[in-house]
Amino acid sequence: MSDSDDKIRKQAEKLLKDGLKTEVFPRAYTQEQIQDVLTRIRQSDGSLEQRLIIGGFTLYPIEDEDIEQACETCMYYLVHRRYCELPELDVPVEAEWSCRLWRI
Amino acid sequence: MANLLWLQGGACSGNTMSFLNAEEPSAVDLVTDFGINILWHPSLGVELGDNMKALMESCVSGETDLDIFVFEGSVVNAPNGTGEWNRFAGKPMKEWVRLLSDKAQFVVALGDCATYGGIPAMAPNPSESEGMQFLKRERGGFLGPDFVAKSGLPVINIPGCPAHPDWVTQILVAVASGRAGDLTLDEFQRPKTFFSSFTQTGCTRNMHFAYKVSATEFGQRKGCLFYDLGCRGPMTHSPCNRILWNRQSSKTRAGMPCLGCTEPEFPFFDLEPGTLFKTQTVMGVPKDLPTGVDKKGYIKLTGAAKAASPEWAEEDMFVV
Ligand code: SF4
Ligand code: SF4
Ligand code: SF4
Repeated sequence: MSDSDDKIRKQAEKLLKDGLKTEVFPRAYTQEQIQDVLTRIRQSDGSLEQRLIIGGFTLYPIEDEDIEQACETCMYYLVHRRYCELPELDVPVEAEWSCRLWRI
Repeated sequence: MANLLWLQGGACSGNTMSFLNAEEPSAVDLVTDFGINILWHPSLGVELGDNMKALMESCVSGETDLDIFVFEGSVVNAPNGTGEWNRFAGKPMKEWVRLLSDKAQFVVALGDCATYGGIPAMAPNPSESEGMQFLKRERGGFLGPDFVAKSGLPVINIPGCPAHPDWVTQILVAVASGRAGDLTLDEFQRPKTFFSSFTQTGCTRNMHFAYKVSATEFGQRKGCLFYDLGCRGPMTHSPCNRILWNRQSSKTRAGMPCLGCTEPEFPFFDLEPGTLFKTQTVMGVPKDLPTGVDKKGYIKLTGAAKAASPEWAEEDMFVV
């Protein structure tokens, strides 16, 4: 499991480092925005690229009103597996990454 | 022998169903072993029509002692305060509620609708429903804030949607056996013996709550339901994980979030899509935090707890 996680994590990192434009803003703060992002991910082709784009991934935490939104503190993040368990994203990540579906 | 009369207003009969499922003691045990004489109950009463009316009139006149009056369902005031939408035995039910409450030694409001208005009293509240002595959080309700029954106690509120059978039977037994003096009520007139602890007290997911590991789907055996699925266990006063349902389980043990049905504001959802079974957040932080916890503390605690969480917390520990 962790080998394939590593592989996908590296792919995601490469895509983001190579300048993949993701929808970092607006952050999904309201119920409607969250639903909207989740629905778009469900309706996409489900590829890693689409999940990163629609999810608004970054390789660094986004900070808003003094709250640092990093995967590390997100409730969907599995610390030991370094994995995002949000069913729509379902993707290996790193602690310092971030996406606009972050919630604590 | 304590005479008990039970009526229903704006109700779905859920509390009656729950009561009839009681075990140890059962509804029958209440009669045979605990000296409760059920004068009438919507599902158990034998009198019909004029006989039923005569029975209630004899309680109102004082000819028959009324020891315990149980009311299930909301008090319906529509249309325009008349209560005509809910007539019973020749008059609006609310008139019977007033007359009988004035005569009873103890008045028990059973279930969320009778206690606080419940689902019928949700906006726009077309039935003009209210609880016996509360409308949601506000004290007053149909009987007014100063009402006390002949025993000197205000309405005893046993909320829940429905209430657990044991909550009902134990309170009835306490009252019928002269131990009502032992009952202490909280600010919402709930017996403290049941409603001082939280739904979370005794939940099998507490370790996952502590380490901030979330369940993301109903019925998952690992993970806590607070973070994503809207569990209200940390801010709901109920003994649901101390006094188990069917002596077996509870919502949260089974992987279903607590809806907060014993709190005056229930139901909490506002009928907008996506607000039921979903933790409501403000900028990613839960709108309703565990009782007594502030936003800053919550964020700090979450960071620390996640950092400290052990590997096993991420795995399914309940292996068949
Ligand atoms: S939902 Fe949370 S864990 Fe998942 S990618 Fe976004 S910030 Fe990271
Ligand atoms: S599932 Fe609900 S009651 Fe159980 S620990 Fe989590 S928040 Fe508390
Ligand atoms: S778990 Fe919550 S919603 Fe369910 S019965 Fe208990 S208090 Fe009510």
